[in-house]
Amino acid sequence: MFSEDTILMLYEITDVIIAGLSNGSVYALMAVGMTLVYGVTKAFNFAYGDFFNMGGYFAWILIVGLGLEFGGYITVFLIVVPLLFAVGYGLETFMVAPLRNRADWENRVMMLTLGLALFLSNLYMVVFGTKLKSLPPIIDGILELGQIVFSYQDIMIFVMSLGGILLFGWMLNNTRTGLAVRAVAQNPAGAKIVGINIKRIFASTFAISTVMVGFGGILLSQKLFINPTSGGAIMVKAWVVTAFGGMGSIRGGLYAAFIIGMMEAFVGWIFGMSYTIIALFVLLLATLVIRPQGLMGKGA
Amino acid sequence: MQLKQMAAIIGISYGILAVLPIFFGDVPYIMNILIMCLIWAVVASSWDVIMGFAGIFSFGQVAFFVMGAYCSAILSIHHHVSPVFSIVLGGFFSAGMGVLVGLPCLKLAGPYIALVTFGVHMALQPLLKGEIGIALGSGGAAGLLTIPPITILGYTFGTDNMVPTFYLILLISLACALTIMVMIKSHWGLAFLALKDSQPFAMSLGISAFKYKLMVFALTSFLTGIIGGVYGHFYGVLSVRMLDLDLFSILMIMILVGGLGHFPGAIIGSFIVVTASELMSPLGVYRAVTMGALVVVLVLALPDGVMGIFSKWINRSGKIKVSAKI
Repeated sequence: MFSEDTILMLYEITDVIIAGLSNGSVYALMAVGMTLVYGVTKAFNFAYGDFFNMGGYFAWILIVGLGLEFGGYITVFLIVVPLLFAVGYGLETFMVAPLRNRADWENRVMMLTLGLALFLSNLYMVVFGTKLKSLPPIIDGILELGQIVFSYQDIMIFVMSLGGILLFGWMLNNTRTGLAVRAVAQNPAGAKIVGINIKRIFASTFAISTVMVGFGGILLSQKLFINPTSGGAIMVKAWVVTAFGGMGSIRGGLYAAFIIGMMEAFVGWIFGMSYTIIALFVLLLATLVIRPQGLMGKGA
Repeated sequence: MQLKQMAAIIGISYGILAVLPIFFGDVPYIMNILIMCLIWAVVASSWDVIMGFAGIFSFGQVAFFVMGAYCSAILSIHHHVSPVFSIVLGGFFSAGMGVLVGLPCLKLAGPYIALVTFGVHMALQPLLKGEIGIALGSGGAAGLLTIPPITILGYTFGTDNMVPTFYLILLISLACALTIMVMIKSHWGLAFLALKDSQPFAMSLGISAFKYKLMVFALTSFLTGIIGGVYGHFYGVLSVRMLDLDLFSILMIMILVGGLGHFPGAIIGSFIVVTASELMSPLGVYRAVTMGALVVVLVLALPDGVMGIFSKWINRSGKIKVSAKI
């Protein structure tokens, strides 16, 4: 019925779609973290991508550097997640919060985090060298469904990132802290009046977003490599996904992440990987011109 | 800040620089640093105008610089245009690109503008390295290596005769600085300030946001493109490595040291930072780390930069009142 070439091509396309899905799920995690921190604290974090790498490097230190065997990735998550939380919390408390009483604090936060991005990426280069580092896969083996091959790793990445988002969504909707976060996002002054410790919420949100992106870093670094200078590109990617999906809309971020993950996989397959960022940028410009509030964002 | 004080600060800082070749004219290393000061002063102050003064958070200034430099270099290498004209054409090319980038930014706010302009910066490197760039004559990843020096009436300004070249670039740089000064003090500058403070109110008074925002994009990228062309023809080589974050952040440090939105500050800032960065070169790989940490410290500890200290000091002496904002 089909020629040999067509069938081979179909398998290739399936591979590309699987890659797009697993990348998209991690982008979704990153985009939700970014939407959250911008929606709640209005601080824009330029070092976001470097926290992605921070997660990757922490895991690398534990697994490859220290040769941790006990418990595998579960132990890694148990150690790295609180560490990332502490880093994010401290950053917001000691660096971003003091700037808040200035009129142009949003711009200054951007500059501050840009400096932080430069500091972190060069620190990684000094400490870990310019050579790319790789993490062992979280789980070995492949799942064969007829001719189509899934690696367990891809499935695991997909499940864990979606699990992370769902857990976060549940926390936001069903816990008192989640309620407080939503209140602050709606109206900071009002939240203050009803007795919410607004500073603590700001710091926690920042910390949670750091955890989310770092977690994404651990997951995706198993497939790609940890590159000390890739922070800027990752930040732009997360931000494009967020802007495309609509600021402050978690559902929009999810859709956008999968669309962009898919688009990237196909552009990389057809034109080569160096064109993905150009394609990303064209998509972003088109979105902002046609629909400035993004796919699911609320109108101005 | 008043026009007189601004002119005095520009005059003094350029005056000091103009005297230095008398002492160091035969040391190519120091002359090189002095020329760097002049070039980065223009880029940093035009960035400061758009970011600090007009309040548009554009991160594309380095991209415009590279566009101007590449445009001028490609024109002179592949199309044999005399560098004097190609530099001007490069400036106009940058200005055109500035307007193109500015158009989608008109409707956007804060971080979105930062994202779009930073996206231009991020996309430019793969574009110049890739097939499209090579087709245009960008030389791909290796860059351009044989850019002819500036020649005026048969006299060549290159790295062989540093002192005349220094004075030529000083004139260009000074002209750019004076253009910015006049622009800030004209009714354009007033319109930028009004739009920055409250766009709806400014528009209700009849100030066209469309016109003035595009104008600030065009003007700053024009000046940056011109000086980019000068840079390319002076060094004779260009590569996409300029688009790495190092240059980007060093320019940002210049603005922070000078004081964001305190115009002549960026000029002083660039003189200080270029010198300091050369002094820090023994640090090797730790230099960039230190630079990053410095940005963080400067934002937190020295919010108004050198100009902030300066105006405080003038205020304390009680003779001249200087407003905190320009």
